[in-house]
Amino acid sequence: MKAASFAYERPHSVSAALDLLANANGGARIMAGGQSLGPMLNLRLVQPQLIIDIAGLAELRTVDRDGADLVIGACLTHADIEDGRIPDVTNGVMRRISAGIAYRAVRNRGTIGGSLSHADPAADWVTTLTALGAGVRLTSAAGRRDLAVAEFIQGALQTALRPGELVTAIRLPALPPTARFGYAKACRKPGEFAHAMAAVLIEPDKSRSRIVIGAIDRTPIVVDDSSLFGGTLTNLKQQFDRDLADRLLMRAGVTDTADRHIHVTVLARAIAEAAA
Amino acid sequence: MTTIQLSVNGTATETTVEPRTHLADLLRDQLDLTGTHLGCEHGVCGACTLLLDGAPARSCITLAVACDGATITTIEGLDEDEIAAELRAAFAREHALQCGYCTPGMIMSARDLVLRLDSADEQAIRVGLSGNLCRCTGYVGIVRAVRAVIEARRQRGIAAAIGAGRTSLGPVGSQPAAIATTTSSAPRAMREMEADRNVAVRTLDIPEAVPAKSFDASFIVNAAPAQVFALFGNVRTLAACFPGATITDIPAPDRIEGEIRVALGPLAAAFRGAARIDRDETNLSGRLVGMGHDQRSRTSTSGQISWRMVPIDEGRATRVELAIGYSLSGPLAQIARDGFVRDLAARITTVFAQNCDKHLNGATTQAASEQPQRLNALALLLDVARTRLTVLARRLRRQ
Repeated sequence: MKAASFAYERPHSVSAALDLLANANGGARIMAGGQSLGPMLNLRLVQPQLIIDIAGLAELRTVDRDGADLVIGACLTHADIEDGRIPDVTNGVMRRISAGIAYRAVRNRGTIGGSLSHADPAADWVTTLTALGAGVRLTSAAGRRDLAVAEFIQGALQTALRPGELVTAIRLPALPPTARFGYAKACRKPGEFAHAMAAVLIEPDKSRSRIVIGAIDRTPIVVDDSSLFGGTLTNLKQQFDRDLADRLLMRAGVTDTADRHIHVTVLARAIAEAAA
Repeated sequence: MTTIQLSVNGTATETTVEPRTHLADLLRDQLDLTGTHLGCEHGVCGACTLLLDGAPARSCITLAVACDGATITTIEGLDEDEIAAELRAAFAREHALQCGYCTPGMIMSARDLVLRLDSADEQAIRVGLSGNLCRCTGYVGIVRAVRAVIEARRQRGIAAAIGAGRTSLGPVGSQPAAIATTTSSAPRAMREMEADRNVAVRTLDIPEAVPAKSFDASFIVNAAPAQVFALFGNVRTLAACFPGATITDIPAPDRIEGEIRVALGPLAAAFRGAARIDRDETNLSGRLVGMGHDQRSRTSTSGQISWRMVPIDEGRATRVELAIGYSLSGPLAQIARDGFVRDLAARITTVFAQNCDKHLNGATTQAASEQPQRLNALALLLDVARTRLTVLARRLRRQ
């Protein structure tokens, strides 16, 4: 299938891209690697008047340290992270997750900022970055603001991006060496969009945990306390409260029993990994 | 159209493409490199995989304009490539070629795995090839071929390279060095596109097309056939009777340019277009052929309405028999299902019939019926739903 006609611009800087965006009166779409937008254009689900291609912007291919955090440009690709071309402050979590996104040919062009902006509930970064407590930097002609990924994702394909705003960077907080991470997803075949996914972060030093259940038709379910483990972080596997997880899914609108079973099973796998 | 420079299989190439053209179409249609195959065209099947700046990428979901300045290697460019030669031999030996359609993409992905995988682990190879579909399901031979090449190379002491040796950051094919080659400002580019679109509407020849959908409708007007036929000949009056229609120009007696507005909840479509009217005085029949485009929803429609005046009640009244055919394309077409459009058209026809009747019988003031009316499709649909529910309820009660 072929895309409908559009005008195309490749600005030479972020500010030029923002100018184009501001002048387009909502008729423009930003494109980075185009691995989500490309299919939607070909299927004509999206028919913008103008595409602003930011993939080549050097400003968005940067890597900076900010204290213990790592701030990476929105146009870094999944393959950049998978191959370790940027430092990893997450004890290998970022590398591992990126290696499981779609296929290598897609990872060579697909970007982390693009994936977040697209906000597909089944996207690995939405769930993972929420669990990691990552932040996202939004830039517009008026200035810039930082949001937690959990605030940024507002629903299926819905983000907090305002008109004229662009995702320019992702802030990755450093994980302490003692932190434990578990991740699981259910796909019919490797690389396919997941029907269920879960990320589990346990920080024993701070007696803190964060559980994220993704790939549901809305924002991921985030459990920031240890209620899923009966209030303690000892014996995670044995303490895992499947009924509570099931009720949370029910409350989030997952009404199908089989779907909930898959979600709970995937969560149990992620917990088992974090507990191992 | 945008002019871009590419290095394709080692040859510098300058070519002009539409922004919407993806890389695979450019290679196949303009550069005659048909070794790159197209399957799904949404990045799933992997048939179009090629090397962009040396790394595998999907050419069906990568815009050609986005690759200005990039180095492209298609299957035709791998004739002299050492790994590709080993893979070709192994594919032939292991019966991994089958129908051959997926083969170019398979070779591209396999070559990348040969470069990157440490060992010939079958699971890793299968996962690595999961983005390439083979409709012959000849995966066993393909996996065996890739394993054999990896094993042989590792035995020869050739080590795997993380990321196949890539060092630069960012999407492959998008060259930081190549930016700022496009000079047109967006507002201008967009204005040009708008202009193109307007010109397209202005100068369009109304084509004779076979409509995708068709149905019949009829209504009765309390006036003689000749009177109704005359009304149908008066374009301005006719449009005034038609809900949501506005005429912008009548460049020729048989030609109308104008707009029809339809609102459906948050969706509001204004189809601008042109129509041609043919009339047959002797048979009291006629036909309107038109096409229109809604700028906002990017939906196009074309269609025709044929009418025939049939005298009833000894010629005191007329049954207007309509044959309606239409085609819709664009996003709204995906929402507007067949039955939906039919119901909508039935409602429009009813309102139109009432207006025609009022006009001919002077039941209302001229001003009311001459005003273009905005049709609220949602209200109409709710009306349709209510009617259906009522019918259903009646049926249930009868049982």
